[in-house]
Amino acid sequence: MASVPAEAETRQRLLRTVKKEVKQIMEEAVTRKFVHEDSSHIISFCAAVEACVLHGLRRRAAGFLRSNKIAALFMKVGKGFPPAEELSRKVQELEQLIESARNQIQGLQENVRKLPKLPNLSPLAIKHLWIRTALFGRVLDKIVHYLVENSSKYYEKEALLMDPVDGPILASLLVGPCALEYTKMKTADHFWTDPSADELVQRHRIHSSHLRQDSPTKRPALCIQKRHSSGSMDDRPSISARDYVESLHQDSRATLLYGKNNVLVQPRDDMEAVPGYLSLHQTADVMTLKWTPNQLMNGSVGDLDYEKSVYWDYAVTIRLEEIVYLHCHQQVDSGGTVVLVSQDGIQRPPFRFPKGGHLLQFLSCLENGLLPHGQLDPPLWSQRGKGKVFPKLRKRSPQGSSESTSSDKEDDEATDYVFRIIYPGTQSEFVPQDLMDVSMNNLPPLWQPSPRKSSCSSCSQSGSADGGSTNGCNHERAPLKLLCDNMKYQILSRAFYGWLAYCRHLSTVRTHLSALVNHMIVSPDLPCDAGQGLTASIWEKYIQDSTTYPEQELLRLIYYGGVQPEIRRAVWPFLLGHYQFGMTEMERKEVDEQIHACYAQTMSEWLGCEAIVRQRERESHAAALAKCSSGASLDSHLHRMLHRDSTISNESSQSCSSGRQNLRLQSDSSSSTQVFESVDEVEQTEAEGRSEEKHPKIPNGNPANGTCSPDSGHPSSHNFSSGLSEHSEPSLSTEDSVLDAQRSLPAVFRPGDSSVEDGQSSEATTSRDEAPREELAVQDSLESDLLANESLEEFMSIPGSLDVALPEKDGAVMDGWPGEADKPSRADSEDNLSEEPEMESLFPALASLAVTSSANNEASPVSSSGVTYSPELLDLYTVNLHRIEKDVQRCDRSYWYFTAANLEKLRNIMCSYIWQHIEIGYVQGMCDLLAPLLVILDDEALAFSCFTELMKRMNQNFPHGGAMDTHFANMRSLIQILDSELFELMHQNGDYTHFYFCYRWFLLDFKRELVYDDVFSVWETIWAAKHVSSAHYVLFIALALVEVYRDIILENNMDFTDIIKFFNEMAERHNAKQILQLARDLVHKVQILIENK
Amino acid sequence: MSGKSLLLKVILLGDGGVGKSSLMNRYVTNKFDSQAFHTIGVEFLNRDLEVDGRFVTLQIWDTAGQERFKSLRTPFYRGADCCLLTFSVDDRQSFENLGNWQKEFIYYADVKDPDHFPFVVLGNKVDKEDRQVTTEEAQAWCMENGNYPYLETSAKDDTNVTVAFEEAVRQVLAVEEQLEHCMLGHTIDLNSGSKASSSCC
Repeated sequence: MASVPAEAETRQRLLRTVKKEVKQIMEEAVTRKFVHEDSSHIISFCAAVEACVLHGLRRRAAGFLRSNKIAALFMKVGKGFPPAEELSRKVQELEQLIESARNQIQGLQENVRKLPKLPNLSPLAIKHLWIRTALFGRVLDKIVHYLVENSSKYYEKEALLMDPVDGPILASLLVGPCALEYTKMKTADHFWTDPSADELVQRHRIHSSHLRQDSPTKRPALCIQKRHSSGSMDDRPSISARDYVESLHQDSRATLLYGKNNVLVQPRDDMEAVPGYLSLHQTADVMTLKWTPNQLMNGSVGDLDYEKSVYWDYAVTIRLEEIVYLHCHQQVDSGGTVVLVSQDGIQRPPFRFPKGGHLLQFLSCLENGLLPHGQLDPPLWSQRGKGKVFPKLRKRSPQGSSESTSSDKEDDEATDYVFRIIYPGTQSEFVPQDLMDVSMNNLPPLWQPSPRKSSCSSCSQSGSADGGSTNGCNHERAPLKLLCDNMKYQILSRAFYGWLAYCRHLSTVRTHLSALVNHMIVSPDLPCDAGQGLTASIWEKYIQDSTTYPEQELLRLIYYGGVQPEIRRAVWPFLLGHYQFGMTEMERKEVDEQIHACYAQTMSEWLGCEAIVRQRERESHAAALAKCSSGASLDSHLHRMLHRDSTISNESSQSCSSGRQNLRLQSDSSSSTQVFESVDEVEQTEAEGRSEEKHPKIPNGNPANGTCSPDSGHPSSHNFSSGLSEHSEPSLSTEDSVLDAQRSLPAVFRPGDSSVEDGQSSEATTSRDEAPREELAVQDSLESDLLANESLEEFMSIPGSLDVALPEKDGAVMDGWPGEADKPSRADSEDNLSEEPEMESLFPALASLAVTSSANNEASPVSSSGVTYSPELLDLYTVNLHRIEKDVQRCDRSYWYFTAANLEKLRNIMCSYIWQHIEIGYVQGMCDLLAPLLVILDDEALAFSCFTELMKRMNQNFPHGGAMDTHFANMRSLIQILDSELFELMHQNGDYTHFYFCYRWFLLDFKRELVYDDVFSVWETIWAAKHVSSAHYVLFIALALVEVYRDIILENNMDFTDIIKFFNEMAERHNAKQILQLARDLVHKVQILIENK
Repeated sequence: MSGKSLLLKVILLGDGGVGKSSLMNRYVTNKFDSQAFHTIGVEFLNRDLEVDGRFVTLQIWDTAGQERFKSLRTPFYRGADCCLLTFSVDDRQSFENLGNWQKEFIYYADVKDPDHFPFVVLGNKVDKEDRQVTTEEAQAWCMENGNYPYLETSAKDDTNVTVAFEEAVRQVLAVEEQLEHCMLGHTIDLNSGSKASSSCC
């Protein structure tokens, strides 16, 4: 046994170590908000605590045979103390886990991270497993406290825990660390550099759970109402107490420049000065001084009264940019006082620092913080060995009073200073200057006179004249009537300007937003609660008698409550416009028949094309292999295909350019009808020739051609400039008809086709095909040109010129054009059906390719029907087929529906759509849009029709559509108006004008952001919303998504890339119900704003 | 470690379906999904690594391969430190488009000195049977176009994936060293700013 003093020293040493470790952990917690479980501080802390707890432990308590004394001790304690028992259980579970995972723990960090139950523990951490777990479980302090209280049971008499003083000290030391939050999601480094979306969300939950359950939904509202009520921009009543206290710490956004507790402030005249925590924070552009009463700093979070505490009223937050003067008073017997005076002359309550140079330290921190833009005038002096000291020459006030000028004394001597904060080189400097001068001249302007004067003079004078007797200047006490009047005036004018700003704000809101929502507000509760949505029973009633519910009512139900999953298949075609509401069963049947026929026909068209493509590919593949083995050139197979194909058409062309002249006569007179006629004819003949199509006539033809029209419509727009739609429309059908025609009547039709076009366009550009056919040599050289630069534009112009050289035509072709009966109706329908004008004008050059399809009797290797397609069309379609194939193969394979058979359906529909919209071509993302439709409708033709309808809106969002920029601009306006705080962050963090993180949302109507079931409900809400609340409902969903996470975005000061990453990681993890509700609320809010003019 | 690490932005470019996302996911998460969906928009992942004693955080940007998405893709080229040109050895066209990708990148990334910009060429899917592009051809292309390193990878089999990204880092560091030789002593200490702030009393 050692001597008593030596034991006491050991105890002190142990306790000191613990103190040090506690301090470090608490500091880490303060600077970082969270302490990571693997922090080295925790490990050394555990070691220190363990040493204390084991100190003087009785051997019996430690267990004679146990290697882990702590384990033995805690288990013993557990017998009488429930928290310790609970701990024992936890630790033993953990130990088992560790045991079983020990072999795999290395090298599988990824998995470890995924399983929160399996801790990724370092050997050191395992060594202190008990203490650690107790710490994280927040029972360590309680257990040690218990040990201290029952120390005689476990400890020798010299033990630390037996000591009547040291024991309780140790126990209370541990309270702090046990109150902290520890995190274990990632390594400490990751934690700060690269938190995952998960981590961010979880962190947010941890420290927001106590206080705000649904704040995200409320925030945007507050933003507007707040201004309304308070009129002051930085007044934030909504900020939670917890947030406030956290904001006092250093975090990623703000640097803590200075912090000192027990700084006294007298909050009210009738009160004693209260001690509190003074802290100076710096963010990117603002420095803020905060003072928080100790009562708040120490308050526990769970306390309900905490937030309502009167002390909140006393807390002080001062933006330093508002402050112009600092009046410092130092007294011999107390620490020193600082009074801040702001631009408008208002004095802030004095801060009284404790003794010991804290005032100087504060000033020096402040001076550092002001750099580089601002500085203190006069500056503090640097003195070797002492650091910053008060300036000695210009010490004291401008009034030049008695006391301070003569003596250069030390800091503890009574000295007063007035520092001015200046920002050299910026305008703001002049504002205070003016004010100051004014006040000095005793000629204050009406609205801002005497507070400044009185404060300034009284402060400095009292400071200088009375010397040590004053401790701060309590100017609020000055019972000056003038002061009060001015205050009153100021308050009134502020209120007025606040109100004015709010009115202007609202008018901006209206102009910006009124176009985005329907002005008619549809209630969720009238005529009945729509929360149940559209149920099967309602639908059944409606289908039996369509007068039972008006369309608007059904849409309202869907908008507020969705469609019951079982009847989606029935309802969606209505929502998408495949059927019109109110159609009879007969009418619907008719629509279906038309669609089926149209679909079948389109299928057969592109299947023919595909067959040729495959054939070409086989050949070129063989050639490529041969070439590859010979190691020759890099020719692409496409290249080769193109070449090959054009020669085919060349060969075949000679025979077909007959009859051109005759036709031209005809077409000159009425080119457009001529074309249509021929088209119809072709289709009819073709249809008849085909066994599988029973009703291919006009009824089918209409939808077919209607949807087809945009594709083929563009040749002439290229030639004539897009304005001349009359010309383009005829040629639309030309293409289709020709394609069809050639199946059955290839030889006859070729010439007809060409001549029609020829006649129609004076430049004769479209008839390029014919020319090459006759002049093989020229054509070949051309082809090679084309191949070289692959420019479609050139495709168009060069052959055009060749066309002039067209040789003789014989009249034979005319025989191929039978009756003209259907012509006009056909043309009409074309006109009616030609929609999507934007699209059509986009790719005129591409579309023009489709016009020319050359027939080739003998040369076409594949088409058994004798059909050939223009080489350009073939090439174009080949490219698209490849793209479709690639994407279909990887489309939502994890979803149960997409078996091989259903993927085939998906492909068929997509190929058909692209066949009809070849000028748009397949763009990635289309598969995403089709997939959910197919899942619900499970019928190729129906899905095809609905998809075509859906794409009318969605096409705009694709790169060729140009609507994306509008979406971004609208998002920008909405965020700016509804959540200006977030907008500021986005603005400040740079490139936010782009809003790229929403790109996928808009492109796919959130399809990739949500799981399938949610996609269904979101989509039908979007469709219904168009008629119920807003045609731009997607914007509000996007806004809702942003708002749900806005606190996280703000807290983490996310920049542009962070947000992209965050939302990418959050995909399919959103709460769709919450988001839809929030989106509806947002629409409603905007509607209200607009309504309340 | 975080203090020392250098953030490098790497862009994966190449035709649709050559396996850009798969390469990235294999590298960062060590997973492979043979039926992963095509990328819409842009995505990126970070990974820390150590190459030749230097700690680096790779920020890997994965782009949509279809040329139509150019306007979405190209804004992200700016500030890239390295570009991984990717093709699939079983897709000749993707190989032939390498040049276009290279040009697009140089144009939009606003590369000061295109001749010395670190490109790395990756021939992905070497696990596939029917190759359409031989190693020699690819190497020849790399030689001709700027003497870029060429690596044959397979995200599926995890062949050469780590090597490829490390090679990218090496390329960047090599270029950086050259620059440093040019302007001596002009190094940026990323560390200095982070610690200096907290004060306590």
